[in-house]
Amino acid sequence: MIDKDQTLSSLKEALEASTADQTELCLIGEDLSLTRFAESQIHQNMYRADTTVYVRAIKNKKIGITSTGDLSAQALKQAVVDACTIAELMPEDSDFDSLPSPQTAPTITANDAATTENTPLLRADAVGKVVELCRKSDLQTAGAYRVTTDTVAVVNSLGVEQFGTSSRSELSLTANGEKGNAGWAIAYAHDAKTISPEQIAKRAIDKAARSLDPISLETGPYTVILEPAAVGQLLLFLAFMGFGAKTLYQQRSFMAGKIGEKITGDNITIIEDPLAPEFAGLPFDYEGVPRKQVTLIENGIARGVVSNSYYARLLQSESTGHALPPNNTYGPYPKYMAVGAGNSTIEEMVASTGRGVYITHFWYVNFLNPMKTQVTGTTRDGTFLIENGKIGAAIKNMRINQSILEAFANAEMISKTRELYPQYSVAMLVPAMKINNFGLETTEG
Amino acid sequence: MIKLVEDIDGWLNKLTKAKCEYADLRVQQIEIERLSSSSRKIEPVEKSVTLGFGVRVLKDGSWGFAASSQFNEKEYERIVKLAIAIADASRKVNKIPIELGQYPTAKGNYETPFTKDPFTMSIAEKLDLLAHWEDLMHADAAITATMAFLDFRRETKMFRSTAGSDIKQVLLHTGAGVTCGIVKGRRERYERSFPTSSGQFVSGGFEQIASFKIDENIPKVAAQAVEMQTAAECPEKVADIVLSPDLASLQIHESIGHPLELDRVFGSERNFSGTSFATTDKLNKLKYASEFVNVYSDPTYPGGLATYKYDDDGVEASRTPLIKDGILVGYLSSLETAKRINAKSSAAARAEGWGNVPLVRMTNLTLEPGDKKFADMIAEIEDGIYIEGVEQWSIDDNRDNFTLGGEVGWEIKNGKLGAMVKAPSYSGNTVQFWNSCDSTGHKDEWVLWGTPNCGKGEPGQNGRTAQGAAYVRFRQVKVGG
Repeated sequence: MIDKDQTLSSLKEALEASTADQTELCLIGEDLSLTRFAESQIHQNMYRADTTVYVRAIKNKKIGITSTGDLSAQALKQAVVDACTIAELMPEDSDFDSLPSPQTAPTITANDAATTENTPLLRADAVGKVVELCRKSDLQTAGAYRVTTDTVAVVNSLGVEQFGTSSRSELSLTANGEKGNAGWAIAYAHDAKTISPEQIAKRAIDKAARSLDPISLETGPYTVILEPAAVGQLLLFLAFMGFGAKTLYQQRSFMAGKIGEKITGDNITIIEDPLAPEFAGLPFDYEGVPRKQVTLIENGIARGVVSNSYYARLLQSESTGHALPPNNTYGPYPKYMAVGAGNSTIEEMVASTGRGVYITHFWYVNFLNPMKTQVTGTTRDGTFLIENGKIGAAIKNMRINQSILEAFANAEMISKTRELYPQYSVAMLVPAMKINNFGLETTEG
Repeated sequence: MIKLVEDIDGWLNKLTKAKCEYADLRVQQIEIERLSSSSRKIEPVEKSVTLGFGVRVLKDGSWGFAASSQFNEKEYERIVKLAIAIADASRKVNKIPIELGQYPTAKGNYETPFTKDPFTMSIAEKLDLLAHWEDLMHADAAITATMAFLDFRRETKMFRSTAGSDIKQVLLHTGAGVTCGIVKGRRERYERSFPTSSGQFVSGGFEQIASFKIDENIPKVAAQAVEMQTAAECPEKVADIVLSPDLASLQIHESIGHPLELDRVFGSERNFSGTSFATTDKLNKLKYASEFVNVYSDPTYPGGLATYKYDDDGVEASRTPLIKDGILVGYLSSLETAKRINAKSSAAARAEGWGNVPLVRMTNLTLEPGDKKFADMIAEIEDGIYIEGVEQWSIDDNRDNFTLGGEVGWEIKNGKLGAMVKAPSYSGNTVQFWNSCDSTGHKDEWVLWGTPNCGKGEPGQNGRTAQGAAYVRFRQVKVGG
């Protein structure tokens, strides 16, 4: 566990070694425990404690960045001196104005003791339960149980001083049979105690049992029902393609020129909601700026993007508190996105569908045309035909070829319950959706 | 660093010798420097150093791994004890003990040869090169959106095992690339990159950049970006295709490299990266490709992004045939996975940094060239598309159905290159596709392409691989825009 007072004190002490106009130190600590299993055996079981301090020094609008994993007073001071030296060698960045000034971040309970203290034996116990349940159904299991505690501390020469820790846990599981049938399920929570291995196993086993003897479906537009994870995977790519201020400023975002205009259906609202209790994330970003709620899309209308201090200035706005670590040139990025709930249930979506496809999640989603939000990918581990209001035969995996904005324009029903879904260090609170005219292609021939 | 290794090794031996079948230690330092510009504007230099150690133990047939970036006696003891406790926890679930066979006992050193160390050069010299490329790109007034980068990575890795291995390797990688773009309105963007979309990456120092021939090729790709504005969409049809060497490299990576990772074949990635159709019952039987196709795994091949002397099991690198005359004859493997098919490890156990366990990863994969040069291949095509660069890719979780696409293409009519087409893509099923290959190009046009960002595993590990190919021709493939 990284100590707050000691950390802030050492970072502030190192600041004194700076000869720059402005200086910032950002400590990022990760305590990761992960138990992976496959063929019903634990094949990878690990723990990692990694701490890095990034230093950003600015001299006459020249920016120098360096990092160190050595937390000794001498090493931190040396890193500050190195950042100052690098700054002198860099060209001036006339767009740089200032590091952020101090702001108070809201206090939230982000660190859960049960999650932080999760041990290898507790994880093995959970894995043992799912393996046993799958074995009783003649299924093999593969999956991962991950527990992470993140620590971030930021100080700068203008007086910013932030420290926080946040924990999260995640259990995902694929139950698979000898005939290639498979079902997948996932649970993600701030509090490890709320994850039920039995419930996850039940969902995966049920899908695997129904995935036998899959049929082929021809290429065409289909009505699809996407489980929350599938919606989350599309949402994440939408964020890649345009919810950050850098992509908007450089006109690479699909939001460019569209703020205030309708870009999806009326029933779609997407909010970057970092203070929502479900996320229990850190309340400030890697510049120490409090994370703010940002409405990205409201009732189908493009409203805004997330920013850091640098791009907020270029867009003549204020930072929303979404800076990434200082060595990252990707620009600001949302981290806790929530899609507004609807008023349906998945059962009602299925019952209202004459012919359609039920999709658990996707694999290898990748860009086809970022400006048109066009992506490809394939369905995976639980794809079923819906006929006459009922889920029927399993379907062989299909390739998607779809604009995400068009899909969100064609969302006929949205579930009232939402699930947390994590991917690539982003947490999302997402509902299931029934979407019409969704592009699916056969993967045969 | 040697003192750190000695200190941790002391704890490893003291705590594991009596209790564990096997244990090993990696101490690694990774230095990274990335300089980039975007439309002449220099981005902040990404410069980082990470140093840490990872301890892996095999106890009662189960693995445990723990790693830390903090170097002190208390932490060494904590981490080694934790690795043992984790192995004990694994044992609670596992019914079948893991076996490695004969433990390697290699002792040796390896260092990437280089003549100009990018880490000791001045930053100004490197920024000047970026500015020079930006000038060359903007010499074409139509080019409005440009990018250029230089990327350097040095990994110093020390490995010890309780079986007696004692290895030091210093691996130096250099990468560079440029992109010429035109933004038209709010929805149209045309881009051509060189040497390929994410740049070329090789083993070696700064001196390697001259061999990429970026200066000489900028005017050509800038002109192509301009021409792309008026190029037609690629027609949808079934046609013969020729892939440029960089796109062929990606095709090898996705549809030969990944399917032949033996841990994936056994299901270790079932819940994440997926499985493989190339199961072990098909070894020496499956006609994976046409008789023209021969593929090797070769970490000993010089200059590749996966050129090393020892893998992270401590196994000495060697050349391993994977596909021989079109038949599946081997896998990429680690000690653990190779033992399960009674084969020799292909020395492909590789971890990203000190904080990850080794997984089976691609190495340098080489598609052996044939006897036809690009012009000869084109001359033999009546109706086809030549596809160049890398624009898009996706493949299903069984590594069977794929779609890939290039930045640009040209129609081929009656043996000659014709009009340019925009962003052509093609799709197929792996075995069917590789069996339609009827030429693997010529050695004079063969290039070993580096892939610096191959994702696999949980937590995600970024692998560095290479795939070597010349131009490659496939008959009767589904193409489109």
